[in-house]
Amino acid sequence: MVRDIVMYCVAHQPRRLKLPAQPIPDTADPHDIERCLFDEAMNERYLHKVATYCYYPATEMFLDLVEGGMKMSIGFSFSILRQMESWDQNLFNLFQRLVAHPNVELVDVEPYHSFLPLCDLAAFTKRISKSREDLDKIFGKKPVVTDTTEMLMSSGIYQALNEAGFKGALLDGRPWVMDWREPTHLYHMGKEMMLLARHYDLSDDVGYRFSNRGWSGFPLLADTYAHWLRETWGDFAMLAWDYETFGEHHSRDTGIFEFMRHLPDELGRRDIRTLMPSEIIDEYSDRSYHLPLPAFPCTWAGNGGMEFFLGNAAQQAVFQLMLLAYNKALLTKNKQLIDIAIWLLQSDNLHLIQWFGRYGAEAEVSAYFTPQEWWQLGPNGIIWEIQQVYKNFIHALDAYI
Amino acid sequence: MIQGRITPQNTEFVILCFEGPDQYSMAGGLGVRVANLSATLAKIGFQTHLFFIGDPALDSVELRQNGKLVLHRMCQWISKYHPNGVYEAEEAKLYDYNESIPRIVKDDVVKPAVANGKLVVVLSEEWHTAEALCRLSDYLYADGLRDKVIMYWNANNLFSFHRINWGRLGYVSTLTTISRYMKHLMWRMGMNPLVIPNGIPRELLRKVDEGLSRDLRTALGADLVLCKVARWDPDKRWNVAIETVARLKERGIRTILLARGGMEPYGQEVLNNARSLGLVISEAFTDDNSVEGYIEALRKASYADVIDIRFHVPIDFLRIVYNACDAVLANSGHEPFGIVGLEAMAAGGIAFTGCTGEDYAIPFVNSFVLETPDPMEAVGYLMYLRDYPEEGIRIREAARRTARYFTWEAAVINLIHKLENQARIKGVLGGVPTPLEPQFAMSKLPPELVSTVMKRNYNK
Repeated sequence: MVRDIVMYCVAHQPRRLKLPAQPIPDTADPHDIERCLFDEAMNERYLHKVATYCYYPATEMFLDLVEGGMKMSIGFSFSILRQMESWDQNLFNLFQRLVAHPNVELVDVEPYHSFLPLCDLAAFTKRISKSREDLDKIFGKKPVVTDTTEMLMSSGIYQALNEAGFKGALLDGRPWVMDWREPTHLYHMGKEMMLLARHYDLSDDVGYRFSNRGWSGFPLLADTYAHWLRETWGDFAMLAWDYETFGEHHSRDTGIFEFMRHLPDELGRRDIRTLMPSEIIDEYSDRSYHLPLPAFPCTWAGNGGMEFFLGNAAQQAVFQLMLLAYNKALLTKNKQLIDIAIWLLQSDNLHLIQWFGRYGAEAEVSAYFTPQEWWQLGPNGIIWEIQQVYKNFIHALDAYI
Repeated sequence: MIQGRITPQNTEFVILCFEGPDQYSMAGGLGVRVANLSATLAKIGFQTHLFFIGDPALDSVELRQNGKLVLHRMCQWISKYHPNGVYEAEEAKLYDYNESIPRIVKDDVVKPAVANGKLVVVLSEEWHTAEALCRLSDYLYADGLRDKVIMYWNANNLFSFHRINWGRLGYVSTLTTISRYMKHLMWRMGMNPLVIPNGIPRELLRKVDEGLSRDLRTALGADLVLCKVARWDPDKRWNVAIETVARLKERGIRTILLARGGMEPYGQEVLNNARSLGLVISEAFTDDNSVEGYIEALRKASYADVIDIRFHVPIDFLRIVYNACDAVLANSGHEPFGIVGLEAMAAGGIAFTGCTGEDYAIPFVNSFVLETPDPMEAVGYLMYLRDYPEEGIRIREAARRTARYFTWEAAVINLIHKLENQARIKGVLGGVPTPLEPQFAMSKLPPELVSTVMKRNYNK
C-alpha cells in the first residue's frame, strides 16, 4: 500500500495564434512578424479570466495548504510566466511566494510548451538546461526534476534529459508504457536519471472526472479519495494535474476547492505523507526499477499516445508546417526567427484541433480548449486559418535566407 | 438626446478611409474626396477625425486647422515595409485596420465625445472600411454607446462589393453613394443608398487666367485642342477619345489631344491604337515646375496629334488646360461621379461627359453628354461648337455656375441635412428641422438661382 504521494501541478497558458491569419508585410522584422502571428489581446483576456477563477483562488489555497504542512510540486511554462509578468504582476508575485515555500518544489518544463522534443532533441536539451538557469533567476530555486510538454517521454527524450543533468523526470504511467509494471514505484532507464510515473487513473479522477455527474465515483469526497490512495498497491502515487483543474476545468461550485482543502487531513488520518519529487527520489532510488521506454513518445494527453496530437489529417498537416517552419527558420540563423518558430511548435496548436472530424469525450476536451472567438470561423475555417498562420510565417522567412 | 440640429457644438465627425491627404495615401479620387470632405467639415467648425493609411514617415497623429482636423495615420508599421503607396500590401493593411480601428475610435474619440454630451457621426468610405465599421458598431454596442453614434457607409465605386457582408453592414449603418447612377446600380443589388454627391474645393471656382489660357492655345497652334485626364482603363473610353482625334484629322482639322494617364499598362494599348489610326504621338517632359515650363514642354511636343503628358500636372495648371481646350473628354463608360468633368466646368471648360454618374451634367446647357461609344457623337458636337462659337461661351458660363452647387461646402450641407433626417428617424436627434444656420450656408446663392427667385417675385 502506498505510503507517500507526490502532487504535481503544471500551470500553462498557450500563446494563442491570431485567427484569422494576419498577412505579414514583406521584409517585416521579427518583432512585426510576431505581432502578426500571435493574438496577445486574446492571451491577455484569457489570462485575466483564468486568473480570476483559478490562479488567484487556487494559489491562495495551496499557500494555506503548504503552510499547513502539505508538500507539492509545481511547473510553469515560460508562456504563462511571460503573460503574468506582462499583464498581472500581482499574480506573478503570488506564484513566487508559493514557489518560495520550503514545502514546494519547482519542476522544470519545456519552456514554450513546444514539441521541440519531437523534432530536435539536441536543441531541446540545450533549451531545457537553459530554462533551469532561468527558473533559478526567476524563483531562486533550481529545478532538479523535470517535466516536458504534455508529459512527453520516450527513450530519446529520457536520454536528452539525462544528458541535461536532471535527477528525475516525469512520465504518465499508462499501461502501454508500463506493461506489467505498477506506476507506483520509482523507475529509470539505465542511467542516473529517475522516472516518476503519474498514476493516471487516480490523477484523472480529480483532473478529469471530478465534476462528471455521470461518473460512478461522483461526488468525489476527500475521505473517499484518500481511501482509494491508501488502498493502492506500491511505494508512492504521483498525482499530476493541470493547475487550471482548480477553478477553471472544475469551477468553484463543483466543490473542488473544498475537496483539496480537506484532502491533507484525510491523507494524514491514513498515515499518507505528501512528498516532493526530489524527496521521493532520495527515498526510493535504492529500489528503483528498470523501465524500457518506447521509441514513440507517451503523453498524459488523451489515450496516452501521440495520436491525440497527430491523429487527424488537420493535425498532421499543421505538424508538417511546424517542422517546415522550424527547419526553415534554422536556415536563417536568425535567433529571433528561430525563437518564433519554437513558439509555433507549441503543442496547443495541435491540441486545439484534436476535435476535427471526431466526436466523443476527447474531442469535447479539445474543443473546450479551443478559444470561443475562433468558432465563428467554423471548423474548417479554424483549420484553414491555423495553417495560414504557418504558411505566412514560412513565406516571411524568405526575406532572411 | 440632442435637440434641434447637428452643429459643431454638439457633434464630432469620424471619417474612415484607406486613402487620405498624404501623397502616400492619395491613389485617386477617393483620397481627394476625403481630404476635401474632412477639411471642409473642420473649416465649418466640426471636430473631425480622419483615420487613413498614412505616410509611415509622418507623425501617427497630426493636428491641422487649429486642431479641428485630426489626422490619424494607421498601419504605419506595415507601410514602412511598403513604400509604394496606400494599396501596397493591401490585405495586410486591411487586417490591421479592421483590428485597430474599432478600439481606437471607441476609446479615443467616441467615449470622450459622448462624455462631453456630443453626438458622433462616422462616415466610412469604400469596401475597405466596411468590416471595421461593423466591428466598431459591435464594440460601441457592448459599451452602451451605440445610440450616441450615427454611422454612414459610402460607396464610391463597385470595387470588391463581393467582399462586403451587406446584411451586417446595412444593419449597422446607413448606406450612401455619390450619384443617382450608383444608387441605381446598387438598387439592382438589393440596396437603396442615399445619394450624397461629391464636391470640389471652393477655390476651384476662381476664374482661370485667360491670358495663360490663350498662351497655351497659341503654343499648341492647333485648330482644335482636346484633353483627357484619366487612368489608362477601358472604362474611361480612351479609345473613343483617340478615334475622335483620328476622325477630326481625316477631315483635315488639325487637332491635338492632351492625354494625361496613369501608370497602368493599358496606356500602351491605347497609344498603339492611336498609331494604328495614323496618329502621331509625342511625349511631354519637363523639370521646370512653372506654368511657363509646362506650356513650353507642351509646345515642344505639339508636332504630334496626341501628346502623352509625362510630368506631374498640378491642379492649377490643369485648370488652365481645361479652360484652354475646346473639349475636356470626361467620357467614361462607367463613372460613379466624374470629378474631372466637374473640375473642368468649374474652370470654365466644356466638359464632354459620359452618361453615368455625372448628375451635374445637363446636355447643351452646361456640357455635352456622350451617350454612345461612337466617336462621331463627339465629332458632331465639336463641329457644332466650331460653327456656333457663341454656344461655347454660353456653355462655359453655365458650367461655372453649375459648379457652384457642387462645392464641398454644398456637399456638407447636403450631408448634414440627410444626417439630421436619419438621426431623427433613429431617435438620436430630437426636435424638428430648422433652416440652416448662417455659418453653414453658402456665402451667396448662385446667380441663376437668385434671378429665378427674383423672377418669381416679379411674376406675382
